[in-house]
Amino acid sequence: MEQLIQHVINGAMVGSTYAVVAVGFALTFSVLRVINVAHPEVFMLAMFTGLVVVQALTQNFLIVLVIAATAALVAGLAIERAVLRPLRRADLLMPMIATAGVSVFLQYGVQGVAGPDELRFPRILPFAPLEVGAITVTSLQLITFGIAVLILLACSFYVRRTRWGLAARAVAERPDIAATFGVNVSRVAQITVGLSSFMAGAAGVGIAVLYGSAWSFVGLLYGLKSWVCMLVAGNRHIEAVMLVGIMLGILEALTTAYVSSSFRDAVAFVVLIVVLYKRPDGLFGSYSY
Amino acid sequence: MSALLEVAGLEVAYGAVRAVKGVDLVLHAGEIRVILGANGAGKTSILKAIFGLVKPRAGRIAFQGQELRGLEPHEVGSRGVAWVPEGRQIWATLTVRQNLVMGAFVNNKRAAVERRMAELFDRFPILAERRSQLAGSLSGGEQQMLAIARALMAEPKLLLMDEPSLGLAPLIIRRVFDLVREINASGISILMVEQNARQSLRVANWAYLLENGAIAGSGSPAALASTEEIRRVYLGG
Amino acid sequence: MLSLGFWEPVLILAGLNAIIAIGVYITLMSGQASLAHAAFAGIGAYSAAVLTTNFHVPFPLAILAGMSVGLVGGALLSLVTMRMSLLVVALTTLGFGETMVVIAFNIEYLGGAQSFSGIPLYTSIGLVYAVLALVLFVAWRFDHSRLGLAARAVRDSSVTAAAMGINVPLVRILTFALGGGIAALGGGLSAHYTLVINPGDMTFFESFRYKLFVLTGGSYTFLGPLAGALALTLLPEALRVALALSDVLSQSLRFMIYGIIVVLVVIWRPQGVITRVPTGVRARFPWPGRPAARVSPAAKVAALAAESRADRADASLGSPGADRP
Repeated sequence: MEQLIQHVINGAMVGSTYAVVAVGFALTFSVLRVINVAHPEVFMLAMFTGLVVVQALTQNFLIVLVIAATAALVAGLAIERAVLRPLRRADLLMPMIATAGVSVFLQYGVQGVAGPDELRFPRILPFAPLEVGAITVTSLQLITFGIAVLILLACSFYVRRTRWGLAARAVAERPDIAATFGVNVSRVAQITVGLSSFMAGAAGVGIAVLYGSAWSFVGLLYGLKSWVCMLVAGNRHIEAVMLVGIMLGILEALTTAYVSSSFRDAVAFVVLIVVLYKRPDGLFGSYSY
Repeated sequence: MSALLEVAGLEVAYGAVRAVKGVDLVLHAGEIRVILGANGAGKTSILKAIFGLVKPRAGRIAFQGQELRGLEPHEVGSRGVAWVPEGRQIWATLTVRQNLVMGAFVNNKRAAVERRMAELFDRFPILAERRSQLAGSLSGGEQQMLAIARALMAEPKLLLMDEPSLGLAPLIIRRVFDLVREINASGISILMVEQNARQSLRVANWAYLLENGAIAGSGSPAALASTEEIRRVYLGG
Repeated sequence: MLSLGFWEPVLILAGLNAIIAIGVYITLMSGQASLAHAAFAGIGAYSAAVLTTNFHVPFPLAILAGMSVGLVGGALLSLVTMRMSLLVVALTTLGFGETMVVIAFNIEYLGGAQSFSGIPLYTSIGLVYAVLALVLFVAWRFDHSRLGLAARAVRDSSVTAAAMGINVPLVRILTFALGGGIAALGGGLSAHYTLVINPGDMTFFESFRYKLFVLTGGSYTFLGPLAGALALTLLPEALRVALALSDVLSQSLRFMIYGIIVVLVVIWRPQGVITRVPTGVRARFPWPGRPAARVSPAAKVAALAAESRADRADASLGSPGADRP
């Protein structure tokens, strides 16, 4: 029983970072109607920016986090301006392919600089185990989990309670109507991509510290899983995407523990196919396009 | 009297299909004018062109003497033009209140928005009652009221209405057209696009007939209602 | 001739990629954005390779068997994804591919993570290009077959297509099966050239690459995927020669340039580079049984609809010769 709880906790920790990346992905998709394949590469860029900052500047986690997330924000805005905006009215598949090109560019660009192997990311957070009965949680896990939860809460507040968050939802549902009521759709797109990238950047640093490594192709798996989370949850409620992200982490942890670690990455897709076969709009509904 | 809105030589095309062919129309401040035409005559394209939602191929669109062509939709929206789109198109996933807040997006002053909303809740009690409901859960008639109230939140000088009677029950249609008259009486000019000639001629000062993207005729409602053509095509008698 | 030694494997790879890209193209023709075609290629490869290696089945038979498995797989996947939107289809097919990877990893008989090896060499450059020619012929005929036109109509609007009397589910199943079969054919050939199959060959990344060939080349005529596959396979190799840097650095640079080119092509031509058959080619090789004059797709679809109404037998939509090479 305690074993099970331990696995669930570990899974939720990992799942919270899936949730952060997936929410950014879903926000971008809902508002811009674009699959930003390069979104997880922004996450990867933040990892490496964090690594550079740690090696060259400071070990202070908060400063590393802010600098890396800002770098991610800048990268996200650049992608929006250079690739997404010129393709705003194009067929859904085209921005997808173009951002895939950006993805390839960034993956190999970072590989060219950092080399093809995983790099060690220094443990810049305390690693103190906290034990409750037979369950162990490290302070490292708790801090990264706490950051993820804070980001998710802030994002939910933005979408539910702020003027621009409301505008983003209006654009997601009916971009033309929102525009005629004075909403600058390009500005909303920019804010959305910027916010998503910033969140992904913060999650990237969190994951790098948690696993103690950075790798130029880490985005592939994260991208896929965020995509799965979004489609399983439906993109109508970002809280649903968060929930599915955390559930997915737990499910994977349980699969690794009780079935086989080689099935871990397949779990997401089995869930996906089953859910979408039954509910093509996802569990909690999607905007209809 | 100076023209509030003046459209001249407007051409809209989708690929090789010309939807609007050299349309001229004028609207003076304080008027209600209606563009009558069948489905696919190009009515909606004219409204979309005014908003910059489609880019016209040629022509001038002057609002208060200023050219609107080349502006982005949100720039047109913040100059005092609001619209009630075809088929309502309210934000179904937002609440009634949030729909109204979005209607006043151009107005950044919270107090003014609240005051305006209170006024509209007085005029539309049903919306006040449902203010926290998701707009998608309203009936068709209620959604039309919301679409109109949303446009009024922007405190526009000019209101564009795209087929406000579409898909509504006869009783509600009467109510909508009475409302059009009330809105106009409060000082808002209205350009309306309609298929329902009987009701729209009842409220309009002037009507244009649009056929295959071109103006086929225009006149005062009284003059038009007496012509054989109108009676046969639009009034069913 | 000087450097054919270096270029021969590259050209073979380009030919194989082109075959699989045509498979993707045909499936996409009816609006099904499959990201499972690398998995179909893998399924074809494993099936054919097991037959030749472990059962000594003659090579052509084994290849055809692999292709049939791809056909059936495509039809089944189409059934599963029938009600889903474009994007959801993309992701579900992707999930199918990833699931195949995991299955292959866990089947010891197929070599598991150690990959399946010891496959006899049968595929030569001549064979690859002969098959490519055959597949191109099929795609060319498909473009102008009733099935191909029906598929286009379904891609533009499945609702309108259904209203015109086109059997939408059938068209989707047939195009997915045909596309999956062609991809499996390409995979089977590939296995007998590389002589080894990895589960990793079936990942979505590979599928994405095939899709990239089609969408950058152009997805409205069979020349699009051909041009896309050839250009995007040869380009990195040409860059390798031109750059002549250390391995990792040159790989990075090549793929960075590759990425930039993809971005630029998509922004420059959102419909793909080749959007229609050049008129010169059209005049010289008029479509069989049709006047060389230009007929608008709308007119074709209308004519098709009239035909469908005339003979209610929707099942005949798969015109002879179009669904089997």
